[in-house]
Amino acid sequence: MKLSCIKAIARKDAVQAMRNRLVVLGLVFGIIFAVIYYVFPSTVEETFDVALYDGSSSQLFPPVGELEMEGMRIIFFTSGEEFEKAVEEEDYVAGIALPENFDSQLLSGKQPTVSLYFKSDVPESVRSSIQYFIQMTIEYVTLGKQPTDVETEMLGEDMAGKHIPLREQAVPLFLVMALMMEMWTISTLIVEESAFGTMRAVLVTPASPSDVIMAKGVLGIPYAFLVAVSILILTQSVRGNLPVLFIAVFLGALMTVSMGLFMGSITKNILGSYIYVAIPLLILMIPAMLIFVPDVSLSIVKVIPTYYLANAINQVLNSGAGLADVWKDFLVIAGFDTAFFVLGVYALRRRFS
Amino acid sequence: MIIEAKNLTYSYGDTLAVDHISFSVDKGEILGFLGPNGAGKTTTVKMLTGQLEPQEGHAKVLGFDVAQEPKKIHEKIGVCFEEKNLYPRLSVRENLEFFAKLFGLEADFDSLLKRVDLSKWVDDRAETLSKGLQQRVMFARSLINDPDVLFLDEPTGGLDPISADAIRNIILSEKKKGKTVFLTTHNMMEADKLSDRVAFIHEGKIVALDTPENLKLKLGKRTLKVKMRTEKGFKEETLPLRDSETPKRTKELLEKENIATIHTQEATLEEVFMKLTGRKLEQ
Repeated sequence: MKLSCIKAIARKDAVQAMRNRLVVLGLVFGIIFAVIYYVFPSTVEETFDVALYDGSSSQLFPPVGELEMEGMRIIFFTSGEEFEKAVEEEDYVAGIALPENFDSQLLSGKQPTVSLYFKSDVPESVRSSIQYFIQMTIEYVTLGKQPTDVETEMLGEDMAGKHIPLREQAVPLFLVMALMMEMWTISTLIVEESAFGTMRAVLVTPASPSDVIMAKGVLGIPYAFLVAVSILILTQSVRGNLPVLFIAVFLGALMTVSMGLFMGSITKNILGSYIYVAIPLLILMIPAMLIFVPDVSLSIVKVIPTYYLANAINQVLNSGAGLADVWKDFLVIAGFDTAFFVLGVYALRRRFS
Repeated sequence: MIIEAKNLTYSYGDTLAVDHISFSVDKGEILGFLGPNGAGKTTTVKMLTGQLEPQEGHAKVLGFDVAQEPKKIHEKIGVCFEEKNLYPRLSVRENLEFFAKLFGLEADFDSLLKRVDLSKWVDDRAETLSKGLQQRVMFARSLINDPDVLFLDEPTGGLDPISADAIRNIILSEKKKGKTVFLTTHNMMEADKLSDRVAFIHEGKIVALDTPENLKLKLGKRTLKVKMRTEKGFKEETLPLRDSETPKRTKELLEKENIATIHTQEATLEEVFMKLTGRKLEQ
């Protein structure tokens, strides 16, 4: 490999790329992501819907109208099935289920057990408020004489204290999308060399196929890295463990370049590169989308390399994770990066040698 | 020997593109490599410039084996391709600067641009240039490293007659400087004018290799062309010069016809090629 050749090719690629409308469009997406970020709400919803199930039509438990307080709306269910479905699938932060014999237990001086169900991402403060509300309501009914047992069950992983605004949840999605879109830039640069016949002209100079491939990497990795960092800055999201965050972004840049090399090596014309890259691009964005919509959980996304990237970025940005928490993700990403880089370089060398 | 090829062979699948060809080119010589499309010209150039590895035989350029040491060859050669292969979004200057940097040169393009008459378009992007102008940029690119050997594949293709002539003059001036030129073309006039020797390639084989003059003398027919005035205009008769009947027929024409012009005509390389292969170069 010749350093002067790599430098010349990378510089030429940068000029060519900046004059390619589609590549520039990729940069514009970064700005669009930042704009969308500011459109999303910066705070969490403060009025909660709570489902109440009273199968025995208790005469002692106060009517719904008397129970409601500021910031809390109570929706009454008489069917156990509907109640369960609503708490599990709809947008209720909690479900309160009175036992069948609530009135008779209270009247006989026994301790009734009220069940409370919470969504996994309900903040601790909201949980405490609802538990307090139940205790107060029972005390009100029994004039403070009757203790009540409250059983609490979490639906899914406990995310107490981790409730984050929508815009913060969206940052990993934007980052992964922006990084993966650079795959287009790299594959286009490669396909153009072949489609314009310029590769032949370059390869009868002192430059070798390795120089050409290395130049794409030399240009692509910092370019993708800078685009991602720009999004972090524009969205004021440079937070958490910064070295770990930048390692994640760097590995993401490496991933997009290695995949771009691979896609560029198997695509024969420019139109084909736009189409063929679009399909893996969409697949690679799925894990980040699922992190953005945490209620949907699909274990199959773990076969998509960007799952580990999106997960690591999300953990670092939104859960204060450090290297000890995400090193396994990094290892998997590095493995994918290496595999695609080797495959891409091998395919390109075969194609151009 | 600057270029030496022995039994060079290359197949694309079952199609034998180049079939055991051997030739050599001396320093300062222009070898015209003539053949119709698909004859094996470009495949030969690809092997000689290290783009394809010969499947059989071997070749040396400037003493380096084309398969073993292609990069040593690339430092000292210039290649002008048949297809247009410039970076479309780079200007003429940027295209040339880029290739100069690949050779580790900070080239002064002014004289080169003047030679190929490109000064006016130096800041225009390649994608905005006509095919003829692009061809001139590609030709200039092949000279950027002041190469010892030039491989020119249809260098005047798509050029207007004046530009084509300018390029031919540059090729001749490079020869005067001692540069060796491997010229592939199917323009027999060009090959005749420029080449010290020409090789005819047909179906992957070299069917003749000699100076244009020798080929025409050996294989072509010199003729006598007689143009006569008639009531309706002109008519023409071509007589073979070495035929025993020609003097008698010429005398008849001189006596009976109103002769407008009469002259001898040399054989052309096209005719020689047709005689050797039974087909035209342009086919």
